[in-house]
Amino acid sequence: MNKVFSFFSDNIEKFSANPEVMIVVGLIFGILVFATLLFFIWGKIKPEANLTELKQRTKSWWMMATIFVAATVFNPVISFVAFGLLSFMALRELASISKNVRDEDRRVLIWCYLAIPVQYFFAYKGWHNLFLTFIPIFMFIWIPFMLILQGTTEGISRSMSVLPTQLMFTVFGISHLGFMLTLPPLEGFHAGGRGLLLFIVFITEMNDVFQFTWGKLLGHIKILPKISPNKTWEGFIGGVVTSSIVGYLLHFLTPLTAIEAMIVSGFISCAGFIGDVVVSAIKRDIGKKDTSDIIPGHGGILDRIDSLAITAPVFFHIVYHMYYLHK
Amino acid sequence: MKRLILSLLYCVLMRTFLKVIVGVVYRNREAMKKVPQFVVVANHNSHLDTMALMSACFPGMIASTHPIAAGDYFGQSPIRAFFTRFFVNAILIPRSRPKPGETGPDPIDLMSAQLAKGHSLILFPEGSRGEPEQFQKFKRGIGILLERHPDVHYIPVFMKGLGKSLPKGETLLVPFNSLVLMGDPRKCEAKDVDGIVHEVEAAIRALAAETQ
Repeated sequence: MNKVFSFFSDNIEKFSANPEVMIVVGLIFGILVFATLLFFIWGKIKPEANLTELKQRTKSWWMMATIFVAATVFNPVISFVAFGLLSFMALRELASISKNVRDEDRRVLIWCYLAIPVQYFFAYKGWHNLFLTFIPIFMFIWIPFMLILQGTTEGISRSMSVLPTQLMFTVFGISHLGFMLTLPPLEGFHAGGRGLLLFIVFITEMNDVFQFTWGKLLGHIKILPKISPNKTWEGFIGGVVTSSIVGYLLHFLTPLTAIEAMIVSGFISCAGFIGDVVVSAIKRDIGKKDTSDIIPGHGGILDRIDSLAITAPVFFHIVYHMYYLHK
Repeated sequence: MKRLILSLLYCVLMRTFLKVIVGVVYRNREAMKKVPQFVVVANHNSHLDTMALMSACFPGMIASTHPIAAGDYFGQSPIRAFFTRFFVNAILIPRSRPKPGETGPDPIDLMSAQLAKGHSLILFPEGSRGEPEQFQKFKRGIGILLERHPDVHYIPVFMKGLGKSLPKGETLLVPFNSLVLMGDPRKCEAKDVDGIVHEVEAAIRALAAETQ
């Protein structure tokens, strides 16, 4: 019991020694309190307004934010397990809805699932080179080989591209969140890996909310009417501008200067948009609105992390190249 | 003791495994709580079906809920029969009723005896596991049973995806998102055997249509 207690108190101490991260965690819950109160009061003043979806979304955000903060601020091992589980659930969801996964592919899909602990182990150890090459090189060789061992060639070339791509999206992309936690400390930069992690998740998710909100408020000109009818130029540009401003203000979570953080946040916003519409296109192909209904008001796991799977590696490699490569 | 073991096995371990690893999502699991006694009727594609339905049970009812299993398959050896009876809480029945002049237990009587005790049953009227997401012809046993017990509610269940995770003839479990959709408990409106079979099948097909 004492051990458990000291485990938590040690980790909470480490957490409270990181004021930058604490400020933003406070900010996240501040926003949630504000949103909850806003929709509550709005509902009281205008009972005829239909806020069910917004209220449900906010409730789900509470859940997701709590799980995320609990998984990331305490102990790195918990974070890696949590991100690994997230990758697993996302891959499972993508493989389940995809009509390009044949019956013969199920035995190969097991190899894809098994790649998750390996990839996260490399991330945990901080083995940079293996972390970067394990999926795009080793799994890209192994999966086609396992596919031909199943003995049928009909539709095999499609499976050879579908399964590795699903791995890249759900496992390679998301595992960069974990890899941020093992980056070495930089002189004069206090927030560390947790800061970077918090920055990218916060910017990406806020970007989703901003693009949604600006689109609802001002949206007229559709950007990709055949893929995602709700996406508008106004929402997209509003999202890029707002995310850049938020990135400018939160630059202290990263080693970047304020201006750099602003430009990088603009990039993140565009990358998030790309992830979002890519998953939308996949869903449209199979004729579903949401990938599953596991998170009330948001759809499936994929619907929530589609942007993150793209923004995490983009952000990581920009920052890594600028600040960590030659240290 | 058995109740404790079964509760731990299904309501804690198996349910967690099914939800977290296999990716099973339950809808309207509370249907089981609405009546004291029920016959769950479900489509059958996988060995996981029985596990998923047992794990749907609440601890209070699990010891008195019996999946119906084919005696020729699950009773092959005494050890297998013991495991099926104890750890799955199953009733082993012959696949068909004895013909006139034959001796041997009547499967309908075996199931009927459990219902008379106030226990609940889990039944797969398709008999054996079929191709994923495809219905086979329903057997008449469910009709004969429910005709004999018109006061017992039945709960239609449609399961989707489990046949992909563990299809017939496969030993390797591969997680795929799957859904266990329960309808509300109801009594049969039809009075004759064929009418009841038809009604039950229609109820499950209606649930299947909801998931499209």
